Amino acid sequence: MREITLSQAVNEALAEEMRRDETVFIIGEDVAEAGTPFKVLSGLVEEFGTERVVDTPISEPGFMGLAVGAAMTGTRPVVDLMFGDFIYLIMDQLCNQAAKTHYMSGGKMSAPLVLRTNMGATRRSAAQHSQSLHALVAHIPGLKVAMPSSAYEAKGLMKTAIRDNNPVVIFEDKLMYNDKAPVPEEEFLIPFGEANIKRSGADITLIGTSSMVQVCEAAAEILAREGIDAEVIDPRTIVPLDEETLIASAKKTSRVIVVDEGHQNYGITGEIAGRINEKAFYHLDAPVLRLGAMDVPVPFSPALEDITVPTPESVAENARKLMSGEMIHAA
Amino acid sequence: MPHEVIMPALGMAQDTGRIVNWLKAAGDPVKVGDALFEVETDKATMEVESPADGFLTDITAQEGADVPVGNVIAYVSETAAGGSSEATVSPETTTHESAANTQASLPEGKAVIMPALGMAQDTGVIVSWHKALGDKVAATDILFEVETDKATMEVEAGSDGYVAALLAEETEAAPVGETIAIISPTPPADPVQRSIASSGTVTAAPVPAPVSEEKAHSKDKIASEKATEAVTAKPMVQPVGSRILASPKARRLALEQGLDLKNLVDAGRPQPFHVADIEFLKGMPKQETGKAEVQSRHITAEVRGQGFAEFVDWAIENAGLAGERTALAGFAGASLKQEQPVVSIESFGQRHTYFVSAGPLKNVVLGDDDTTPDLIVRDLRMSHLNKIQLGAEETPVLTLTSAADSLIITLECAGQQLAADKALQLLSEFAGRMEQPLRHLL
Amino acid sequence: MRFIVHEDTMAKTKTNTEDYLRMYRQMVRIRSFEDNANQLYLSAKMPGLTHMYSGEEAVAVGICEALKVTDKITSTHRGHGHCVAKGANFKEMFCELLGKEEGYCRGKGGSMHIADQSNGNLGANAIVGGSMGIATGSAFTAKMLGKDDVTVCFFGDGATAQGLMYEVMNMAALWNLPVIYACENNGYSEYTKTEEIAAGSITARAEAFGIEAHQVDGQDVLAVNELTQKLVARARKGEGPFFMELMTYRYHGHHVGDINREYYRSKEEEKEWKENRDPIIKFRGWLVEQGIASEDEIESINAEIKKDAEDAVTYAEAAPYPDETEVDMHVFTDIKHALA
Repeated sequence: MREITLSQAVNEALAEEMRRDETVFIIGEDVAEAGTPFKVLSGLVEEFGTERVVDTPISEPGFMGLAVGAAMTGTRPVVDLMFGDFIYLIMDQLCNQAAKTHYMSGGKMSAPLVLRTNMGATRRSAAQHSQSLHALVAHIPGLKVAMPSSAYEAKGLMKTAIRDNNPVVIFEDKLMYNDKAPVPEEEFLIPFGEANIKRSGADITLIGTSSMVQVCEAAAEILAREGIDAEVIDPRTIVPLDEETLIASAKKTSRVIVVDEGHQNYGITGEIAGRINEKAFYHLDAPVLRLGAMDVPVPFSPALEDITVPTPESVAENARKLMSGEMIHAA
Repeated sequence: MPHEVIMPALGMAQDTGRIVNWLKAAGDPVKVGDALFEVETDKATMEVESPADGFLTDITAQEGADVPVGNVIAYVSETAAGGSSEATVSPETTTHESAANTQASLPEGKAVIMPALGMAQDTGVIVSWHKALGDKVAATDILFEVETDKATMEVEAGSDGYVAALLAEETEAAPVGETIAIISPTPPADPVQRSIASSGTVTAAPVPAPVSEEKAHSKDKIASEKATEAVTAKPMVQPVGSRILASPKARRLALEQGLDLKNLVDAGRPQPFHVADIEFLKGMPKQETGKAEVQSRHITAEVRGQGFAEFVDWAIENAGLAGERTALAGFAGASLKQEQPVVSIESFGQRHTYFVSAGPLKNVVLGDDDTTPDLIVRDLRMSHLNKIQLGAEETPVLTLTSAADSLIITLECAGQQLAADKALQLLSEFAGRMEQPLRHLL
Repeated sequence: MRFIVHEDTMAKTKTNTEDYLRMYRQMVRIRSFEDNANQLYLSAKMPGLTHMYSGEEAVAVGICEALKVTDKITSTHRGHGHCVAKGANFKEMFCELLGKEEGYCRGKGGSMHIADQSNGNLGANAIVGGSMGIATGSAFTAKMLGKDDVTVCFFGDGATAQGLMYEVMNMAALWNLPVIYACENNGYSEYTKTEEIAAGSITARAEAFGIEAHQVDGQDVLAVNELTQKLVARARKGEGPFFMELMTYRYHGHHVGDINREYYRSKEEEKEWKENRDPIIKFRGWLVEQGIASEDEIESINAEIKKDAEDAVTYAEAAPYPDETEVDMHVFTDIKHALA
């Protein structure tokens, strides 16, 4: 199978959907000729023109609000938010307007839009350009949240997102744009709410989102050499969340670590751990561990930035603790 | 070349074996295949054979001790004298090897101990040493920082002098009262640096306590190498009050399988318990239940008339009955409804034990007094006692007492010795036989 | 004077008698609706809060009468007037205000989120200025899909303080979107006079983006309607966006509970507007004067509408609430019950 980068996969997904449905359009800063600073959208304006690949002024609330109105009246915008950190700027339009349109209208109106943005630290972009804020929007009823972990997921989830009639937020890890993965040439969609078991194992479950999937896989390799057989699961979408797969795995292995690049406190890791606690409690032989990014603003200095995120070593170390039965916190 | 005698692997779930008894003594000559000792497994008692010809020497585990599988407990040597000195593993020790000689090489000086830290704390984690080996210290200098459940506490040196020994490393947990440093009056010639993990003391749990939450992230990478090599056994956690700490899965399995986690506590297994401990629990020998917890049964029956006495007289004359006790044993044994019961008759301060087979009273045979009976008949008819309540004993007891014109029979046993219906049946049938003995024969 | 009023007298237009009567009816319907809604609140029968449009009827009616059904509007928290003016029915509106199942939003939106998408009303909005982006996006869709629909964005003078307004006007101007920004300047932003919260000129704000801006007497329904018709026709041809500042007045407080408001505006001022500048009284006078309707006809129209409204209230009060199972419906379009 051919291998393409995550950037190419997103580009392909958008191009295919825009060909398929002429109401789909892209709007955001520097999306046309520039193809965004990450060059993910290069070439699209040449094929679809500036009416459908729309450059905007630096007005995040403005073009997000515009996208909501457009979605409510018959078009399907894909909003490009240059950095996930800017999500704070658009919260009213995304969470008060888009997320609630269908509900507040008693099901009579809807806002089928996609918000395409990114996450991920260790790029030395410092505190305001390195955040992973998916937990903020996952918390809001009415929004769906997808987190592709490779080029394959990026393409399949994007196509599903564009066809979904609800507002969908997709977070791509900005560090992965040049990472290649096998992606079929034939059309395929990845449904929301379906987790992917990337590695089957018997001793401990590692649940990872986005680039943390690769971190968990690397940790599993380390652990395998020590005789510990780890299962690695990629939820792919956190709203809707494939609880069934996660719970079944927790019951099978009786030990779970949830790894996510959002801050550890009040985030994805706590939510998933909480659900596993509720639904697999009597099958747990160890506490469910949360492993998120350190609860500090992302520091600039490389020496500091790199220790704020989970790594294969930190995941493996925590796995060893769970296997040994060591108390994570003294009584 | 001495051959090792090791505690063998005993089964999938067993980590340790209890030595029931030694069949040979130190210095005895042994041959390959001779049984040296018996070890208790979850299924039965197993004999362990000698691996070689020679003399049994250097026994390091005594009867009653739980020895980890794979441990050397003796040698078969070429001479009766053997090799290394004998040291014993007492029955109380469960997880560690015998203590090596640790105290001999320490410098002289004032001991600095891990202080008491608070009501619930038995160990303290040394966060950092403020002084190094050889440093001059004053009594009020801070020597080290220890972590309590509330904050980090600074501990003074306590005496003027020089740091002559540091007996625990940073991040290690030392029990309250343990000597962790020595301050000598003069600069030490041979300063000693040790860690708790390496000194192998029997009393301490030789594992660093888990690093606290706020340090976890920053130290994770730095301390990870330390942590991996140091963790060999779970830290001994003191439960709060009588609460047993166990994982939800372990509790559920214990509940489903009718196992009592308290047995693990009594066996000294470190908490919290996990599924692996349930496996261990299954392999443990069944605990004897305390007598106080077991319900006892107390049932009485009254038999009128002299039927039994008359029968005995007649049977001795005409049927070859050996004696009254034989008849009692026979009747009691038949009423117990058990294969070949052993019945003891206690009367006039003596005990006679009978093997009772099915059939006529001729098949009641006197046996060894040593044999443990299934049933005891206590004949107190000649005494003045009539109402008996002694409580359950190790064997069900039928006590015979007199009252006016009748015979009182009291059955006492523990709930688990006889189910209710069995107890009732035993007494009913025995009473029936005592009232109309001829029925028994017909 | 605070306002610059372009015309003192009613403007003459080319629409016919039916149109005039319909305009009159719509204004009376709005007033009637609001009077009843106010009563429901005062008699503690209506949950939550609502915001009365009474006094501003000519603005909503003058504008909406110039629009087709497929033209869109976005509304504000003071949205009953827009909703009626764009063609909504009393029954479903009262049901929505009372949270009943038959409401336009199945009771899930309430007064501040009332919407009637079959008539092109994209909804009231509880966030001040919150619907500006939506209106601009609606115009964007029309342009992208090649439709000649126009979107009118209603907002108050208070919303000119929201950054979003400038962002969307900027984009609308850059892309010539068919949107008309209609600022209902009723002189107050909640409890504060407009001149204390809006520096400079409101129309100049639009003009700064090169957007053609007009000011009009919001109490003159014909003037509003005439201006709107012209701007809408031009917007359909791609000459938009446009900006209107309509000078008007709200009779009630900011919301229904804002009863003791003398501390921020005088009773004399209220009286002046109610007696001398009421849009319904003015238009009625004009209709009679023009011979379009007699006083009796007007009275019977008023009575009929009054009864319609009362009947609708009675209906709504008796109507059922949505079933409890609806609480987690409509969170997503494709998941019937979000919490199942």
